[in-house]
Amino acid sequence: MAKESSAMDKLSESPIEFIREGSQFLSKCKKPDVKEYTKIIRAVGIGFVAVGAIGYAIKLVHIPIRYLIV
Amino acid sequence: MASTPPGGHKTLQKRKFAQQARDRATKQRPTSSRQAGFGGSSAAVLKIATDDSSTSSLRVDPLVILFMSVGFIFSVIVLHVLAKMAAKSVE
Amino acid sequence: MAGFRLIDLAKPLQSILPEIELPYENIPFDDKLIYTFVSALVYILCQFPLASISKEHIDVKDPIFFLRNVFASETKTLMEFGLFPLISSSLILQLMAGLRLIDINFKIKSDRQLFQTLTKFLAIVQYIILANIFIFAGYYGSNLSPGQILNLNIQLIGSGIFTTLLCEIVDKGYGFVSGIMTINTVVIATTLVSDALAFNQIAISDSDDTITEAQGAIINLIQSLRASHRTLMGNIVSVFSRDYLPNLSSVLLCILVGVAVAYLHNIRIELPIRSTRARGMNNMYPVRLLNIGCLSILFSYVILFFIHIIAFVFIQLIAKNDPSHIICKIIGHYEVVNNYLYVPTFPLSLLTPPRSIQSMIFKQPLTIIVFPLFLATTGVWFASKWQAISGSSAKDIANDFKEQGITLTGRREQNIAKELEKTIPTASTTGAAVLALTTAVGEFLGLKGQAAGMVVGVCGAFAILEFVTLEYQQSGGQSMLAQVLGGAASAFQ
Repeated sequence: MAKESSAMDKLSESPIEFIREGSQFLSKCKKPDVKEYTKIIRAVGIGFVAVGAIGYAIKLVHIPIRYLIV
Repeated sequence: MASTPPGGHKTLQKRKFAQQARDRATKQRPTSSRQAGFGGSSAAVLKIATDDSSTSSLRVDPLVILFMSVGFIFSVIVLHVLAKMAAKSVE
Repeated sequence: MAGFRLIDLAKPLQSILPEIELPYENIPFDDKLIYTFVSALVYILCQFPLASISKEHIDVKDPIFFLRNVFASETKTLMEFGLFPLISSSLILQLMAGLRLIDINFKIKSDRQLFQTLTKFLAIVQYIILANIFIFAGYYGSNLSPGQILNLNIQLIGSGIFTTLLCEIVDKGYGFVSGIMTINTVVIATTLVSDALAFNQIAISDSDDTITEAQGAIINLIQSLRASHRTLMGNIVSVFSRDYLPNLSSVLLCILVGVAVAYLHNIRIELPIRSTRARGMNNMYPVRLLNIGCLSILFSYVILFFIHIIAFVFIQLIAKNDPSHIICKIIGHYEVVNNYLYVPTFPLSLLTPPRSIQSMIFKQPLTIIVFPLFLATTGVWFASKWQAISGSSAKDIANDFKEQGITLTGRREQNIAKELEKTIPTASTTGAAVLALTTAVGEFLGLKGQAAGMVVGVCGAFAILEFVTLEYQQSGGQSMLAQVLGGAASAFQ
């Protein structure tokens, strides 16, 4: 019984507790530095555009077919 | 009035231990197939299949599925063409 | 105990549902790349218009337009429901198994097989139910003939079964990691690229075919500098604000969201570790802020999808979207916007991201609070459960450490799990909350689901890339294709 009531207390207090804990955690974290970050962005950007371009090429196949059937 | 089973308290004791062992076994059950060590979803990746192959199920080659799905799309195209021809013949 | 188990339902299905056979040997890196790509491209090919849709004017518009980007679906195509049934059934079943709501022992092989079959079966059942909800709600026309209904059913359910199998091809080891996530990422990348760079011309006025604009926003910007049907100033305003085709501001915002998520994904805590076997082997073990990736967002959107589909059933199927009906008075009704969207009114609008900043402030101010709160609470709840059950909880990692002879610097071996227990759950829940807020902010800028799509796409890309680079290194870098395609993969090392 006592356990349950303490759980309830925690739940009502938890949003503030959660935010406090979370921001504490965030401040402890290691953030990527500029050099690392630009490298990642470039790598993922190139990958995203390359993959997307191939996908778009397939989508282009649809256009004549749609034209044919509409 | 507690009834004592044949065999006396020893049986009761044994049953209790067996029950505890079973409880422990269920508690130690892995919660996912990755935890059991057989593939499947991990923390950041969602999968529908694990690294198991069924023995009883209908097994197919991946290439067959790829070709069948392209065939499926073609059948939909054919459906479009048929619908268009039907509409024209009504006019 | 002779109790009934949910997974036993799958027993008779095992012999009917097709299953991809496991590869006999390890698939080489290049072949994996090809299998993954071909599966994704077949999926994109499947985004093809449905046949047998009524040619007449259809009153019922798209009620889930803001959810489509997350689940790689496209309206009135074979991929009407996209990956949603797959994602929802695998997420929910695995969550239920992890929380022991369904009785399953993952140590037993037959149990795992049944579980796998059940997941697929549940996905296909969802395809069937969703298809018929849409058909009978009149989404494809109000008076369809029985033949048309049958046709639509075959197309929608057939495409659902093929999607399931395509994902399974990748999952079973022919492709990289996970079919759901690779296909989703490829589709989201395709959407972004075609929004930005598509050069095909589309007629923009009904009466006149000669006025066309490019589909891609950047191409449109270049063309509009010398277009003649408006003034130069009008052209540039239209490039940034047109709502009939992708505009430049939403493309830029999407890229911004992607860049922000890339930053979040690289926030981590580094725990110093050392080997217990060799001296002087010091290293860092990173615990990512987003260690459950985009799954928390996917879970929130699965719930949103269910809420909106159930609302759609009540409002459209039962109340016929009649504002005076009792149901519509309770949960709201739909308003047609731009002739292709169904925008719900209050109170359903509370869980609908606004279409633009103006409509958010003037029409649905309460959404600003409710929508992020919804994303954050569902996401955080999911994160706290998932990190414990998915096989990389503090205890599992501590076990891994033990096996590999690694220990946290300055800690005793018995305390590793405790120490990790302080970090990993906090990281997961905080990460889920931060990601939810990012998604909500992106959505409030009027991206109609594209922000959530970008979050899922970029996070998915990172999750996959981690495995791809690992495998690339293991294959010894012997890949012709990777040298051509994988600038990303090699640069990421």
